Amino acid sequence: MNESGPLNRAWRVFATGFSFTCFGLGAVLLGFTVWPLLRLSSSNPRIAVARVQRAVSASMRVFVWLMKSLGLLTYEIRGREKLAARGQFVVSNHPTLIDVVFLVSFMPEVDCIVKQALWRNVFLRWPVYWAGYISNATGEGLVAACAAALAEGRSLIVFPEGTRTRPGEPLSFQRGAAQIALAAARDLRPVTITCDPITLHKGNAWYRVPPRRPHWVIAVGDPIPISSFLRAAEPQPLAARHLTQALTQWFDVSITQQLGKMRTETRPGG
Amino acid sequence: MGPVQSTEEIFEQLRGVLHELFEIDPARVTLDAHLYNDLEIDSIDTIDLILRLKDLTGRKIQPDQFRHVRTVGDAVNAIHTLLQHKPAAA
Repeated sequence: MNESGPLNRAWRVFATGFSFTCFGLGAVLLGFTVWPLLRLSSSNPRIAVARVQRAVSASMRVFVWLMKSLGLLTYEIRGREKLAARGQFVVSNHPTLIDVVFLVSFMPEVDCIVKQALWRNVFLRWPVYWAGYISNATGEGLVAACAAALAEGRSLIVFPEGTRTRPGEPLSFQRGAAQIALAAARDLRPVTITCDPITLHKGNAWYRVPPRRPHWVIAVGDPIPISSFLRAAEPQPLAARHLTQALTQWFDVSITQQLGKMRTETRPGG
Repeated sequence: MGPVQSTEEIFEQLRGVLHELFEIDPARVTLDAHLYNDLEIDSIDTIDLILRLKDLTGRKIQPDQFRHVRTVGDAVNAIHTLLQHKPAAA
């Protein structure tokens, strides 16, 4: 099938709708059966939450496999082994709706911050509850909760942008990620996500599929040390601002390079 | 801070604090400037700001007293009101 022909596009609209329906149904079914059972499978909440998170991660791998098998996307993960260690503070840019799906699929046990709207979402509130994810309801409490999770040796994913990137606008990071890193005294593990042609981005409806099948590159970088920001004799709010600036610059360069390479290289077939 | 302070003096001092804590260009700090929307002071910053104001004024500050503060002008008024009261006993 011609990968950019009208027939292929129609197929991708249908298959995207099908995939997302599966996602919603799966979340509801598992959210009322397997996940609560796993959550109650141990009286130790840490063990129970870890079991739910591993199951969520497995279901995300199934979902990525489904989208790939239906011909909706191709992807490439670089440096996946770097995500294996526990207690990692993963920060990533956020171009598309399914970034967190990829990241959770690569990390068997990881905490996420889930926005208030999803806690009210009929499909997703139970899964995120059973998985012990962190709510963004409180400003100050959120930084403390994230730092506490890291201190316990749990891994955490944060999108410093706070929402998906608006294509064409300059990268804008909120300071929460830097505040968490400084509060937890934890280096940042950057993950650069690029998608070409862009799809499922902010302000774009799911059925507006791109002209050809999109390709994701998810590259795990080397740690960004925070020691120089901790040592600096400056108040913490200022340190958070400077770390945020450094982080934004790092991602700006990394995203530009990665996207540039993707567009010049021949995309992998299949 | 001295015993009698005009709102102008408080405003100038607040400008200094905002620059020192958050590197906010004093030119951007006007009475109408919205702390969150215009000056990008988030809830974490607010905690540090209140701590610093506590040191400077020598007054106990309840976060409640700043709950309604939205603009720099609101903050100046809140500090002004605070300074009308006697310092808290150590």
